Amino acid sequence: MKLDVRLSPNWLLDLEMREYRTTDPVDFCIIGTGAGGGVLAQRLARFGFSVVALEAGDWHDSERDMVSDEAGSGRLYWNDLRVTGGTDPLEFGANNSGRGVGGGTVHYAAFCPRLHPSDFRVRTLDGVAVDWPMSYEDVEPYYEAMEREYPVSGPAHFPWGAPHGYPYAPLEAGTAGQMLIKGCQALGIPVVAGGPVAIPSGRVGKRPHCIQRGFCLLGCKVGAKSSMLVSHIPDAIAQGAEIRTGCMAFEIPLDPTGQVSGVRYYRTDGDQRIEAEQRARVVIVAGYAIETPRLLLNSTSSAFPDGLANSSGLVGRNLMAQAGPVVWGRFPDLIRQYKSPPACALTEAFYETDPSNDFVRGYALQTVSPLPIAMAHLITEEAGGFGDELLRAMQDYNHIAAIGVLGEILPDERNTVTIHPTERDELGIPVPSMHFSLSENDRRMMVAGTGRARAVLTAAGATDTHAVTRYAHLVGTARMGFTPTDSVVDRWCRSWDVPNLLVCDGSVLPTQGSANPALTISALAARTADWLRRAAAAGALARRPSDPHAVEA
Amino acid sequence: MIGNRYPAADVLAQRGRWDAATRAVVLDRVHNVPEFRYFNGHDRVTLEALCARIIPQDHRPIEDRVPIAPWIDERCAGAASVGFRFEDMPDDATAWVLGLTGLDDAAQSIAGAPFCSLPSIKQDRILNAIRTGDPPGDTWQRLPARRWWINLALKQISGIYYAHPTAWNEIGFGGPAYPRGYAALNFGAREPWEADEVLDPGSSPA
Repeated sequence: MKLDVRLSPNWLLDLEMREYRTTDPVDFCIIGTGAGGGVLAQRLARFGFSVVALEAGDWHDSERDMVSDEAGSGRLYWNDLRVTGGTDPLEFGANNSGRGVGGGTVHYAAFCPRLHPSDFRVRTLDGVAVDWPMSYEDVEPYYEAMEREYPVSGPAHFPWGAPHGYPYAPLEAGTAGQMLIKGCQALGIPVVAGGPVAIPSGRVGKRPHCIQRGFCLLGCKVGAKSSMLVSHIPDAIAQGAEIRTGCMAFEIPLDPTGQVSGVRYYRTDGDQRIEAEQRARVVIVAGYAIETPRLLLNSTSSAFPDGLANSSGLVGRNLMAQAGPVVWGRFPDLIRQYKSPPACALTEAFYETDPSNDFVRGYALQTVSPLPIAMAHLITEEAGGFGDELLRAMQDYNHIAAIGVLGEILPDERNTVTIHPTERDELGIPVPSMHFSLSENDRRMMVAGTGRARAVLTAAGATDTHAVTRYAHLVGTARMGFTPTDSVVDRWCRSWDVPNLLVCDGSVLPTQGSANPALTISALAARTADWLRRAAAAGALARRPSDPHAVEA
Repeated sequence: MIGNRYPAADVLAQRGRWDAATRAVVLDRVHNVPEFRYFNGHDRVTLEALCARIIPQDHRPIEDRVPIAPWIDERCAGAASVGFRFEDMPDDATAWVLGLTGLDDAAQSIAGAPFCSLPSIKQDRILNAIRTGDPPGDTWQRLPARRWWINLALKQISGIYYAHPTAWNEIGFGGPAYPRGYAALNFGAREPWEADEVLDPGSSPA
């Protein structure tokens, strides 16, 4: 079919997109088109494989569908029912979800830091959580590739983690970002300005550079901000991949030989709905940390009565949110925080374990610039205030600068995604139910990070500071590991149980560090794609990875 | 009552410089306020009374006030999902009805009359009891008061208010800026089309 999707003011995606028949097995069927699925579709299509990517949502046309309006942007989010509980219940939908081509990358702030080398060895170094079944060096070339391909702006020499710099010059920081920089410098805390953020400080192809409009979190109408929608998806289509929208996967069927045979899904087109099954030689689940375990747990069979690829019992366990307390200060002078991208300055000076802390691991401090509704929600949540108290606090909107604490919450098997016993979504698919409770280490880290953010804002000149506990990014519910009993997938993101099934999204992260996860997810996807190319050629996808006769690719 | 911090602000006057999709969404919100379909009679009056205390607009002529209750009604009538519900809460539409009943429970217990018939100073006492998380009344045994207050009452009502250009004018928010963008980025500078802040004599913002 001929596409008709505007990606920037001067870029109409009007390619002829290849369409595959559901009954003809494709080489790869990918579920989801976010930071993982988008890169996989592009890489695998470039390698010459036939690829269909199923996307539950629709295209986001930059002129028709994206708006400079908080309340009018609900279509960017996964708004289907989910049930949440635990001692610290997470809120879902909105910023920690994504729907439509590009997934959450369409509305992320676009901070794109790398993990640190220490993140891959948390068990060894700190005696908590688990190590990754790979090292930083294994991922490093893929970080470099993704920073070029997104691309990412930032300092020439990034002072934390492994030494590296960014291909595009730092972005201009708005006044809210300058308050983070000013406060850190007053306290002697190293800080960087203008990235790493995936908004290139220059034109990239048909993508103009940023106009400082400040609505990054509601989709970039300019096409400046990198997202899968503008970075990898167009190339995937040009290389012959099909992005099939309006398709909600509900089951991955298993054939009698113990391999998956394709994906069953509902396709909605206008008011028409059909049930279909795309046949595929390999299935890759990339639906993010809630929908991925939901789909696996809903795909039961006599071989896998507790959910597909779940012999370890770990599908849906170790749900991690990233700690994301928001701290804001009021300043005598005008800030006008709504101008410029919210992502523009950060410090990772408190990222690593510090023996003088009462907790292990750490946090980053990053700029956030809430638009009016987001600001009102922070203010009401802090103290429950209403009436003139609320209106007066909001009248100081232009005098507020805010900092986000982004901190490492550790994995805990008791934090779970399960299937709700009775609730169904509009399609009749059982909905996911989440339980989340903080550990003592998590709480202490958030207290320390919040205190540090208050100190920074005060040092920058804030007359008073305020804070609300929040959470961001969700990962961990189909973790990768060393053996079939300690994890759901191996270091190539392949299921230990089913040889032609992979999971490649935030779910596979064993730990999360204090870095926004999109770049890491894309880097892992690119690495997995390289392995799949070798593995397919070697015939390695016919046997389970733990099989004594497995073929090493 | 709050002051008029940005007397010259008129975000809507810039609508000719917005893209068509944004203009359509904002103008639809301003001009096409939905009819009530879900709440009626006493519940509707109670909801309007609640909105008037969370966002007091007495200082505006009636025709200039931002409508809030009709949009709550629209959400409930459409059973709009926001992506989740707490396991100890019913769906939003049911929780709204329960919460309004709870307002009357607490009002009867504290002031001996339904919420909507109380003077505003007493209404605020009821709301403060809910805000602290332990209001009197049977309903609140079944509905977590603090969660209802923050997640439904405050977030939804404030979210609807601050989606309106009248509220943007009140706080000096520049509003949509595509395709034009912003140029005056540093130290609170304003674009030529943005309003100056005018502080009341003797007052300071922080």
